[in-house]
Amino acid sequence: MSGIVNETYDGIVLIRLSGEVDLSWSQQVRQAVLAALEKHPAVGVELSQVSYIDSSGIAALVEGFQSARARGSRFALVAISDAVRAVLELARLDRVFLIVADPGAVAEG
Amino acid sequence: MTLARRTATPIAAPPAADAARTLAFLADLSQAFAVSLDLRKTLPEAITRVADFMQAEGASLFLLDPATQVLECRICVGPVDMTGVRLAIGQGVVGLAVAENATQLVTDAATDARVWRAGDEGSGFTTESLLCAPLGTASGPIGAIELVNRRDGRAFGAEDAEMLRLIAAPTALAINNARMANDLVEQQRMKREFDLARRLQKSLLPKRRRGLFPVLGVNLPAHEISGDFYDYFELADGRIGFVIGDISGKGLDAALLMIRAASLLRWAGKDGIAPGAWLARANEELCETTHDGRFVCALVGYCDRDANRVHFAGAGFPPVLVYRRGAFTEFASGGPPLGIMAGIAFDEHTVDLNGGALYAFSDGATDVRSAEGKRLGSAGVRELIGRHATAAPEARLRALLQDLKHLKLVDDTTLLLIEKPRAHDAQVLLEYHMPARAEYLREMRTALRKLLDQLGIEPALRDRLVLAVDEACTNIIRHAYGGESDGGIGLRVSRAEDVLSFELTDDAPCVDPARMRPKPLGECRAGGLGIALIDTVMDTWHVEPASVRCGNRLILRKRIEDKGYT
Repeated sequence: MSGIVNETYDGIVLIRLSGEVDLSWSQQVRQAVLAALEKHPAVGVELSQVSYIDSSGIAALVEGFQSARARGSRFALVAISDAVRAVLELARLDRVFLIVADPGAVAEG
Repeated sequence: MTLARRTATPIAAPPAADAARTLAFLADLSQAFAVSLDLRKTLPEAITRVADFMQAEGASLFLLDPATQVLECRICVGPVDMTGVRLAIGQGVVGLAVAENATQLVTDAATDARVWRAGDEGSGFTTESLLCAPLGTASGPIGAIELVNRRDGRAFGAEDAEMLRLIAAPTALAINNARMANDLVEQQRMKREFDLARRLQKSLLPKRRRGLFPVLGVNLPAHEISGDFYDYFELADGRIGFVIGDISGKGLDAALLMIRAASLLRWAGKDGIAPGAWLARANEELCETTHDGRFVCALVGYCDRDANRVHFAGAGFPPVLVYRRGAFTEFASGGPPLGIMAGIAFDEHTVDLNGGALYAFSDGATDVRSAEGKRLGSAGVRELIGRHATAAPEARLRALLQDLKHLKLVDDTTLLLIEKPRAHDAQVLLEYHMPARAEYLREMRTALRKLLDQLGIEPALRDRLVLAVDEACTNIIRHAYGGESDGGIGLRVSRAEDVLSFELTDDAPCVDPARMRPKPLGECRAGGLGIALIDTVMDTWHVEPASVRCGNRLILRKRIEDKGYT
């Protein structure tokens, strides 16, 4: 099942994605990420249940990253799956994002 | 000078009897011109008749060379032979008649500044009176008729001037017609010769061999006739001889030399002598018979049926490229072009191909220019070879030519490819069709993942291949179809030896391949990532029109590990 779930967690907003992120719903991911960044100073995208992500999904995350940087907000990818890591490495973006193991780390360091 | 101007204005008509005589003469003259288009026959006769009719001691005809703009006396009757005399426009009475496009009348040559006197010197002849009329045509004067001295000793008058003006008209017309007819005949003759040369050239190119054969050639002429050629033939000992050549210059001369050089090189290689000696033999022969500054660049050699080893030598030919597993080796020519200097030795190369491919390109390939006028060069040719390296030989040469045609071709281009022949019959593994809509991508990925698992491809590579094909489909949906559409996408996966091909076809309007350029990875940008991922995952990829009207075919290729491949 693919989906987006928003939850608040210790003062940060966590967007949980699951399933295969592709062109069919990456626009929704983009809007969810940008909307969360408008309201909250710290946003995490949890990706442990994502089994596939394409370049349009990556692009949504890149836009989130850029928007957060412009606002001075915090933005991190949380608990990324191997599938997501493989694509980030292939796109050489694995060192661009802040990638953390658990939601508690989003607001830290 | 003032006199000449006055004579160019209308004057009284000649008396009636003279008018009838004049008309009769003009009719005769026109008829004489009409009988034959051969000016060498009609003109001398006509000028003699003009001199007689006008009662002149001498008459001459000057024609203007359109290229040099010099007037030359072509026909002359009378006491002084002026034939061959050359005058500039504006020089002398003749030059003035042409420059001003007006009849010139000189009643007293001794005092008239217009007269060019060199003609009289040492001839014992004295010019007293001159009359000259331009030969006018719609595109300006093409020459002039000049009369010297009336036989009755009087000076030429206004009536004579009007008469000569009337005579000049049909003469100019006749010369112009004959010239145009000659041009036409010349054009037809040249076309026949070109057709013949082209047929001869085509007949010299070898027939494509059926079955497994290690040599493949192709020629793409930039013009109607080509200065390039290639040839291959089998020797009794099983080796295969090959030749590729390029004649300097263009046109019919080059084409005829090409025919001679091609036959000569084939003859010289029939005995199976070493490539260097083969070139030397052809060089001696060409040096003896070619003296017009033309020369022949050529590459000759032998290979075995499996193209394991290639033995070759070049004469002023562009470097040979050997492509093996992504790397290029270059082999320079072993001597200067043929037909320049006798007694030259040519260095040879022996190359073990080891499954690689040897490419020989005439300089036409590197001379190909992009829309910006930039030469493709050796680096550009290497890039093209690399791009199509995983395609089967025939398809590869076709793709190379397609790319060269896309660029602007300035010279003939000939390619020769030598590599181990393989049964390249591609095995189709999957034919899949989907609507061009994002919600169908997932199903396609599942089908493709399943196929790649069946092929035993390890999961990391499998996922990357699925990603690349998915990105290709995404690209088609978003950019070729422009979003929501009722169109479809066809995916065909095939395997030839150790190369997997993913062919994606659509019915969208043709895309411009130049706009599908991968952007550098690692840049934090939201756009252009898909093509970059395809470029990273696949060995080669390219897009071509699917048909003449519309549709695109995107072909992605990846070499996979194959235990049967060494």
